[in-house]
This record gives sequence, structure tokens and C-alpha cells, in this order.
Amino acid sequence: MKLEDAIKNMFKFDIPGEIISSFLVMFIIAIICFVIYFKFKNADPYEEKPSKFIVTISFIVQTVKSFTTDLMGKKWEKFSGYALCLFAYVFLAFIFSLTGLPSPMTYLGVPLSLGLCTFVLIHVTAMKANKLGYFKRYIDPVPIFLPINLLSMWSPLLSLSLRLFGNALSGFVLMTIVYYALGNVSTMIFGFLNSGISQVIIPPFITPILHAYFDLFSGMIQTLVFTMLTMIFVSQEDPDESEEELLTLNKN
Amino acid sequence: MNFLAAGIAILGGAGCAIGEGLICSKAIEGMARNPEMYSKLRTSMILGCALDETTSIYALLIGILCIFLG
Repeated sequence: MKLEDAIKNMFKFDIPGEIISSFLVMFIIAIICFVIYFKFKNADPYEEKPSKFIVTISFIVQTVKSFTTDLMGKKWEKFSGYALCLFAYVFLAFIFSLTGLPSPMTYLGVPLSLGLCTFVLIHVTAMKANKLGYFKRYIDPVPIFLPINLLSMWSPLLSLSLRLFGNALSGFVLMTIVYYALGNVSTMIFGFLNSGISQVIIPPFITPILHAYFDLFSGMIQTLVFTMLTMIFVSQEDPDESEEELLTLNKN
Repeated sequence: MNFLAAGIAILGGAGCAIGEGLICSKAIEGMARNPEMYSKLRTSMILGCALDETTSIYALLIGILCIFLG
């Protein structure tokens, strides 16, 4: 990790490599956002055929919006911005290990802060919706349950963050073991070559399919699960009980 | 001793496997009865499997911790 060392020397801090990757992910997302913003600003709204880029971005935004409204109800349409942000960050953070730098998800602080965001959102939403009735949940159904309720309050935070962390870490550890084992096998077969080269002959032919599973597939599924769980946890604190939704439910 | 602890910890994966089997069997039953729901059921099935996997991931995490930090 030469890049990491260079950055560490530049700032004279002992920053973990995962945090630097996290900043790089944010930087990439920010650049993409700026590109999209300027493309849309300069786009001609009366054009007959919009460019492929604009159509793709509009499609993504529409998909996330309909996904959010399906899951949380019409009232929560504004939440789609946060959902898209979570999608982008978690997915990019998962597949960032493909670049060779450590994935931010393998550092417990990153998934824990993502879980903390959801946790704060849940409680702020509940406070806004129920006002003082919010505190009733701690003495539900009888005041004796207070310690149990205080403990179970933290379960969404733990389950959300440990799910992300465990998935990323297990993928990382398994990939490390596979690389190590294949490197040894490669050295045994191509031992007559230079030791630096003989280690890296076999692994590139076998590991890509594992990377596809552990980084791409698992990352996609976990991103979807994390975002969906966040939406469900937040929306159940302040459910949308408009008549429209009930009507469509009855129709189906 | 550490390896023994890791081996016991990963036994938690057995429960997860049973749960995943149940999810898949029920989902396929539903698909066979109602083929037009195929795509929706598949999405829910994969999501259910991902949620179910959590417990086995905890087991794996504890196993890894036992080997490397124990």
C-alpha cells in the first residue's frame, strides 16, 4: 500500500488506510455529483432527444423514487435523496476493495457510523411523530420492562452495522486466505522462476470469480438490504396512512 | 484450543442453513403455484436469504476473532 504510506507521511497522522479509502469514495461520489449537476444545468430542456447520460441518470433517480414510495408511502418521497446517497456510498465502499486498497467496510468505525445515522434518524422521526408519547415506548407494556426496552433500543444499530462489517470482513479474510494458498501453489509449480513472479502466475485466473461473488454480488445484496432496512425502520415510526394507499391495497 | 473454539462457533451456521433451506423451499412452492409472481418472489427470496445470513456471519466473525485474536 504505497499510496497509503505516502498520504500518511504527508499529513503526519496515523490514519487507518480504511478511512483514507472512505474519503476517496466520498471524493469520487462528489466528483460524479458535480459532473451530473453541470450536465443537467447545461442540458436543453426542449431538446427532442436527450443524451444517453441524462436519460440514464433520470432513470436511476426515478427508480429510487418509486422504490422509496413503494416501501415507505407517498409522504416519504423526500427520503429518496438519502436512499440514493446510501446506495452510492455503501456500494462503492464495498467494491472499493477491487482497486487493491482496503475497503472502508472492513473498519468497524465506518459501518458503525452508517448504523448510527439510521439510529438517529429512527429516534428523531419517532420524537417528531409522537412528541412526548415517544417516551412511552420505554415503559411498554409496564414500567418494569424499562431495562429490557433500554437494551433492545440498541439492537437495530448493532444488527445493521455488524451485518455490513461481517460481510465485508468475511469476504476480505477469505480472499486473503485464497490469495495466500494460491500463491503457495503457484510457487510450487513455477518455482524455477524468479520468486517475485512465480507467486502471481496462478491467482489471477481463479480469484476474479471469487471477487465477483464476495465484492460485487454480496456488496449489491448488502447495499439493498441496508437501505431497505433503514427505510423500513424509519417509516414504521411514522407510518403513512393516506387513503390512496389503502385504496390501491384493496384493488390488489 | 483457539481452533476448537472457532469450530464450535461456526456450528451456528447450521441453523442458518436450515433457515435458508426453508426460505428457498417456500419460495419455490409459491413460484410453482403462482408463476406470474416469479420475479417478485425471487427478489424477496434473495432479500430473505441475505437477512438470514446475518446469524451465520456473526458465527463466522466470532470464529475469525477466535483464530486471530484468541
